Parts: sequence; structure tokens; C-alpha cells
Amino acid sequence: MKTTIILGSLLAATGLGTSASADKLDDIMASGTLRCAVVLDFPPMGSRDADNNPIGFDVDYCNDLAAALGVTAEIVETPFPDRIPALVSGRVDVGVASTSDTLERAKTVGFTIPYFAFTNVVLTREGAGIEKFEDMSGKTVGSVSGTFEGIKLEENIKEWGAGEFRPYQSQADVFLALSQGQIDATVVTSTVASAIVASGQYEGLLIKGDAPYPVDYVGLIALRQEYGMLNYLDLFINQQVRSGRYQELYDKWVGGAAPKLTIDNVYR
Amino acid sequence: MFNYTFQWRQALQKLPLLLDGALVTLQIALLSMAMGIAFAVVLAVARNAKSRWASAPASAWIEVSRNTPALFQIYMAHFGLGSFGIYLSPYVALLAGITFNNAGYLAETFRGALRAIPGTQMRAARSLGMTSIQAFRLIIMPQMFRIAFLPTTNQMVWAILMTSLGVTVGMNSDLAGVTQDINVRSFRTFEIFAIAAVIYYLIAKAVTLGARLLASRLFRY
Repeated sequence: MKTTIILGSLLAATGLGTSASADKLDDIMASGTLRCAVVLDFPPMGSRDADNNPIGFDVDYCNDLAAALGVTAEIVETPFPDRIPALVSGRVDVGVASTSDTLERAKTVGFTIPYFAFTNVVLTREGAGIEKFEDMSGKTVGSVSGTFEGIKLEENIKEWGAGEFRPYQSQADVFLALSQGQIDATVVTSTVASAIVASGQYEGLLIKGDAPYPVDYVGLIALRQEYGMLNYLDLFINQQVRSGRYQELYDKWVGGAAPKLTIDNVYR
Repeated sequence: MFNYTFQWRQALQKLPLLLDGALVTLQIALLSMAMGIAFAVVLAVARNAKSRWASAPASAWIEVSRNTPALFQIYMAHFGLGSFGIYLSPYVALLAGITFNNAGYLAETFRGALRAIPGTQMRAARSLGMTSIQAFRLIIMPQMFRIAFLPTTNQMVWAILMTSLGVTVGMNSDLAGVTQDINVRSFRTFEIFAIAAVIYYLIAKAVTLGARLLASRLFRY
């Protein structure tokens, strides 16, 4: 009787008891798998190749992260609006999903330092009569529900007091609606716009100048209370830039000089 | 384990927006039911008709609407027709999709109800000098609605819940659309969805109770 109690308390005090205090980072290393939420209808960040395998900047980024952790990566396809439920319900460990780091969202999830930055352009269709950003006033426009540019565009339509905004559930639906003429224009990240125009998948799509939005910095996301994890991710992003891997991935998927990930005159 | 702290105060601040959305949901459900019932009466009669020209299209409508997902029907109303250059706004596409679905289901409900009315009633009405249309309108139809009333309220509840499929075609003013909009802005998914679920429940419950009250007044023997 006495020995079992002593044995039990010894076990609890040493190795076997650690599972109670193990954090996310420990769990990942112990399980040997890193599950990343990636949006796969958002080229060139995430999409599928001809054989239906996930490819893209975010996919490579997840693989790099898994390699750094010494585990295997598992890509979990996650539509934009489902990123948080996927994270909170424990279906994924980290979101590598071009998530804009708004203060509103940071009340719910933990953001890393920016790992990528987008600028936004106006994407329209031949004959829609849109030459620049302001021409969208009074038109029917749309975007993906819950994206940085979608939220901004909806605010623009409210400000102008003319036109209609339609939030779709996926980037593919937005392009479909645009090519069919259901909507006249969308605001989309420049990388996605060039990728979709270059693919020739939808006819008659045109890029018409920049949208006057601030640079859309996106971070990786993890559970807000997982400081160990967030800390590791911050350092990982820093190392990706330092090692030149960030530029390398940018060359592979986008091309040109990779966007700067720091903001002047302020820390972090 | 559930790694999440619920923040109800933050979510409840959005309640007025959600209630506005609930009104739109109720509006679409009521409109789709009113139109669905009108179409369903025609479909039920047409499907029983002897003429192929009347029964074949009615059968096709009923078959497609009952045997394909409502999500597919709504998506088709927006993107399917869109590929032919017919543009229905999300509101109209949602309304059209649910109406199409309601009409198909209710037509079968009404057809069953029609079968339950003895054929002698029609003959009796005709022998009193009514035209066949008068007999249908004054004798058969009221009984049909009485028999089909409870299944019809069932469809009404279903119509309310189907409105939530509008988000797939870019609907942002109904309860599901507003919920999704708040969700993606704040990422307070669980609180917002829980509140929306309660609102859906209350609407559906209110409609069922309202229908009971209505039935007890309308269908007194």
C-alpha cells in the first residue's frame, strides 16, 4: 500500500506527469505530426496541382516549419471562414493561412509577427466600365467573406452609400461570380490576381490598378494562450527571412523582390 | 480538450445585428412558403391530371426538388442560371431556391391530402350544381389544407432553416449571413453561432405555436 503511494507520487513528480503541463509545442513534437490549416483555393499561397496535391507558398511554409520541428507536416484544407473553428477545436495546430492580424481577431487568437504581406488590386471584367478603384462606387462588388480586403471593400460600399457588396464563401466562387457578370469587380491581393489572370481559367478578367488600402500584413495563427508555440513561430519566421528561404519561396511562387515584413518607426 | 474561453459580453453586443438578420430570415421563409403553397396546389392538381402535358412537367419539378439537396438548388439558382446570363441577386436566388424546394415537397403533401378526401364529395358538390372549379375551391381545397396543415407547418420550419444556405451564394443580410460576417471579423465563432442557433430555435418555435393557434381557429368543426 505504502509503496504504491510512494511509487505513484514519484511517477507523478517525474516524467510521466509531464503530460498535464505539456504545451502545444510538446504535443506536436511528441505526436510527430504538425497539422497546418491552409486555404487551398487561394493561389499562389495555396492551391492543388493536377494530381490534387496541395501546393503553394503556404504549403511549403508549413513543410519548412515541420522540418524545423523534426516532424511530418499534414496539410488540412481549411476555407477562410473556418480557420478559427479548426484551430480552437484542435483539428489543426497552426494556421498557415494568410490571416490578417487585426486587433479584433487578436482578442480571440494569437498572432505571430508577419510572415507575408499583401497589396491589393482591383480585379474586374472586360466591359464592366471600371478603370480605377473609385469606379466601383455604385457597382455590385464581391469578395471572400472574412478576408482583409473583403472587410475593407464592404466598408467602402457603406461609405459610398451606393452599390452592393456580396461576400462569398470561397475565392473560386468570387472569380466565378465575376466572370459570369454577377459582380462587376472585386478587390483581391495582387499575387492572387496575377495568378488567376495568368492561369487563363476565367476569360476577360483584368487588373485595374491598386486599391488604396494599407499593406495587409498576415501572420501565422495559434491558440492565444500557447506562448511557447507562438514564440517558436516568431523565431521561425525570423529565421526564414534571415536564411533567405523567404525570398526563395517568394521567387518560386510569386517572383520579384519579396515584400518587407517590418514597419518603420515601431517595434514588432 | 477545448482551448477556448467564452466571451459572451462581446458577442451579445452584436445581438441587434443578429435580430435584424432574423427578420430577413423570417421574411424569406414566409414569402417562400406563400409562393410555395401556391405553386404546390397547381403542381398537386397537375400531377394528378390525365393530360401528359400537365402531369409530366409537374412530375419533373417534384422529382428534382425532392431528390436533390436544397443547397444545390440554391447554388444553381445563382451560379447555374448565371452561366446562362440570367442574374439573380443572392436574395432572389435564395428565395427562388427555397420556393422551388417548398413547392415540390408541399405538392406531394397536398396530393396525399387530396387522396384522403373521398371522391364522392366531388360528385356530391357537382350534383348540387357547382362547377368543377367551384367544387374544388369551396369543398375540396379547404379539406385538403386541413389534412395537410401539420405537414405544412413542418415545411415552414424547414424553410426557415434552409435560409441559412444563402451564405453559399453571397447572402449577407439574413441571420446566417450576419452571423458569418460577425464571425469572420471577430473570430468569436462559438458564441456567435450559439446565439444564432438560439434565435433560429425561437423563430421556429414561434412559427409552430402560431400555426397551432391559427389551426385551432381555422379548422374548428
